[in-house]
Amino acid sequence: MKTKMITLCVNGRDHRFEAPVNRTLLQALRDDLRLTETKYGCGTGECGGCTVLMDGKDSICSCLTLAVEAEGRHITTVGGMTRDGELHPIQIAFIEEGAIQCGYCTPGMIMKTASILANNPNPSEEEIRKGLDGNVCRCTGYEKIVQAVQRASRMLDTSQIQKSGGMGQ
Amino acid sequence: MSEKTFVGKNIPKLDAREKATGQSIYAADLQLPGMLYGKIVRCWDHAHAKVLNLDLSEAVKVPGVVKVLGPKDVTQKNYNTGVLDLMVPEELGQLLGDIEDQRIFTDHVRHQGDAICGIIAESEEIAEIAAGKVKVLYEPLPVYLSAEESARPDAFQFDERKPGNRAFQLPEQMFPGNAYGWGDVDVEMAKADLIVEETFYLPKVKQCQMEPHAYVAHYDQTGRLNCWTSTQMPKCVQPKLARLFELPLSRVNLVSTTIGGGFGARLGMVFEPETCAMALAVPGRPVKVQSAREEDWVASESRHPGKYWMKLGVMKDGTPVAMDAHFTSNAGAYFTHSSGVPFTTGSWLTGMYKFGAIRYKGDTFYTNQAPSGAFRGYGNPQTNFALEQIVDQACNQLNIDPVDWRKKWHKGVGDDGWCIGVPYSSCALDECLERGAEAIGWKEKRARYANQSGTLRRGVGVGVMTHTSGAMPMLLEHTTCTVKMNEDASVVITLSCSDLGQGSHTVLKQIAADTLGMPMDEIHILVNMDAAGFDIGSHASRTTYVGGGAVIKACEDVKRQLIERAAIRLGISEEELEIEDRQVFARHDRDKRLSVKEICHTGVYNFTNPETGETNGVPGQIKGYASHFPGHNSPPFGACFAEIEVDIETGVVNVLELVIAHDIGRAINPMAVEGQLQGGAHQALGMILTEETCYDKKGLCRNNSFTDYKMLGPVDMPKLTTILVEQPDPIAPLGMKSVGEAGPVNPVGATANAISHALGIMFTEAPITPERILQALSEQKVA
Repeated sequence: MKTKMITLCVNGRDHRFEAPVNRTLLQALRDDLRLTETKYGCGTGECGGCTVLMDGKDSICSCLTLAVEAEGRHITTVGGMTRDGELHPIQIAFIEEGAIQCGYCTPGMIMKTASILANNPNPSEEEIRKGLDGNVCRCTGYEKIVQAVQRASRMLDTSQIQKSGGMGQ
Repeated sequence: MSEKTFVGKNIPKLDAREKATGQSIYAADLQLPGMLYGKIVRCWDHAHAKVLNLDLSEAVKVPGVVKVLGPKDVTQKNYNTGVLDLMVPEELGQLLGDIEDQRIFTDHVRHQGDAICGIIAESEEIAEIAAGKVKVLYEPLPVYLSAEESARPDAFQFDERKPGNRAFQLPEQMFPGNAYGWGDVDVEMAKADLIVEETFYLPKVKQCQMEPHAYVAHYDQTGRLNCWTSTQMPKCVQPKLARLFELPLSRVNLVSTTIGGGFGARLGMVFEPETCAMALAVPGRPVKVQSAREEDWVASESRHPGKYWMKLGVMKDGTPVAMDAHFTSNAGAYFTHSSGVPFTTGSWLTGMYKFGAIRYKGDTFYTNQAPSGAFRGYGNPQTNFALEQIVDQACNQLNIDPVDWRKKWHKGVGDDGWCIGVPYSSCALDECLERGAEAIGWKEKRARYANQSGTLRRGVGVGVMTHTSGAMPMLLEHTTCTVKMNEDASVVITLSCSDLGQGSHTVLKQIAADTLGMPMDEIHILVNMDAAGFDIGSHASRTTYVGGGAVIKACEDVKRQLIERAAIRLGISEEELEIEDRQVFARHDRDKRLSVKEICHTGVYNFTNPETGETNGVPGQIKGYASHFPGHNSPPFGACFAEIEVDIETGVVNVLELVIAHDIGRAINPMAVEGQLQGGAHQALGMILTEETCYDKKGLCRNNSFTDYKMLGPVDMPKLTTILVEQPDPIAPLGMKSVGEAGPVNPVGATANAISHALGIMFTEAPITPERILQALSEQKVA
């Protein structure tokens, strides 16, 4: 397989590495950069466990995106949500609402939530449920996850999201 | 409630912060120096075939391949991934007919996904490439997908020890007539005014835990086999691996990684044998095996599908005089849990109502489907689907309100529990039914939806259940716990039960904090298999009930030692002393006191005055210990109410609301209890509406992906209302009862009954898909 030097900007930091051109963003994050917080659940874009944020607003399945396609874009993983050890309000909401059980879907859920709220700071319950569709959780029945998104929406200073043009770094 | 106590409070999970930041380490996240990658090569094209020739020559040549292992390159011992053999005395195991019929790599494929050989390589990509170069010549054999097919006299025999391919039936020596129950069913049935008889079909549903099975194994330089695994039962997998690879337990070290969901999928061994076999082939180098989702699906166990025949005899006033039932399940390709599920399915049935007489038969047959095994509820959702519907059919025909009937005929305190001879110690089902009925608006909606016309038809239904709190009395029930007091009086609790994500370690810490009278943040829970004693694992809804009991005992042991030492130091009798606010003091003279910290500190930093020979305290670090066999079981009950709407033109069922009232005894952490009920409801609704693993005629799985196997998404889930009914159980530690496995049980019956209420048709086949609804409507010409 042909290889290529790739530069990825993840959580505000540039990483340069050589990888096969067919390397998915998920593989690059987990195997090349050792950022294992983004999870493999199916490898085919059906579970959302590998969801990351692109340019602060769009959620993508990193298993369906080639690493080379992500060059020049800003990628945020759940590891980039915490700043100076301070949890992001979405993370606090997930913890306190009991929206985390086994935690395997959590990184993807939090990044999907970041995308929902970056695009729509005050979503209705229906909009939240539609927004989360595609991210699978087998533990919670989604009830507490929906409540966590509602709580995060209340906690976030919406003007801040709009000013910074998105979530994450 | 005191500010200083933790039991009963919504404490977020201990590891929630780690999980929310992505810091938790799951097995696939592990990266060890010199690590190799293992790939299990599976048979994808056949469900039943002999391997005539296995050509590994091209695979070995791929640069970066370290070793390729065929069936003869690994142990020739058989094993059983299930652990029931460890849970019963040997004689009973023999009576139940437990057998070991699995091999690490096989030359006889019994289901799609059976493992043929293993590749060990420097990278995952190289292992994949080499796997593609393995050439296998197969001789296809006839494929059997149902018990009916494999039970035919001319069918291929899966195992000579199991004639007729019947892997299990209730053994005659224990269960005369191969039946579980009481009374003379034939005599009682003959007296019935009304008999309702139906055959129900249950689907093969998959746990779908979000973390695909992954492991690392390392046969290290000291001769220890280390295995990093997200198993639900480390202390049972350890002896299984030790036996398989003929090593003493001290040389098999299991390391528990964060568990990305279990639900029974990680009960017993999964791919630990293959991973460890690869590690043993490359001593000194760790081997990681990560399974793909589609592989996890075809090669790991599921819920038992099958056919459930049921006949209920009732008198005009509703008296249930007789119940006759037979669950014939599909064991799949290997024995695994064959002696477990067919029995418990009947226990949940016998445990529910006061039948005058009951006869339950349970058997299971080999087929070429993926093996069936443990899935949250362990036979209870299957029973619930059949039993709760047949009860409603009888009620409808007799014009009796289904809630009233259940209130009158459910078992309660003093009645035999799900295990005949062990009575229920508490039962709050009446309160569950009352509060649930009120919350859903039962009476009003039941009447309002009775006669509907139009496209959208609504219905309300009820389903009740009972379950277990632990494995006692049928199986071994044992948890060991150590509580070490540090010299500053902070605490380390060592045990080996797994937290699957339900929050059991958080709950155990809450219990420990209250028992010791200490803040939670000065207690650490250590899960280390070398250090921890035995535990039968996280299953059977037992971790809070039994693990909590063990924690209480071990903490009480600490308190006893503290008082013993304070008595010596203060010169006061032990009976005079008590502990409060981390002080041991005399009841009648509270100035006479000694701090817990002082006792712990001087126990460690103990000095002897050379002149007087006196010490500054009682020497020895304090350690509390419990090897806990509870000797009791406090089953929970629950009532679920479902409101649904069916579109009779499309057949689509929209679940509007579930009200789940659960008899929890005492909720240690209400938020965690709600989470169990809500998540369980998701699995129940999937089983009743959308989920089924399907096979084509060749026995190949048609839907081993989340696109083709439909779980309900956030948009499909109804409003979930949970009601925690807290009537403390008199024999349970803290009055608590279980919840985990109860979750996916009675929303099954409630939803099925609600659909039946809306349409006036009972659906005997799950999942109740739009196709099945439209078919039934066209047959009954509902307009």
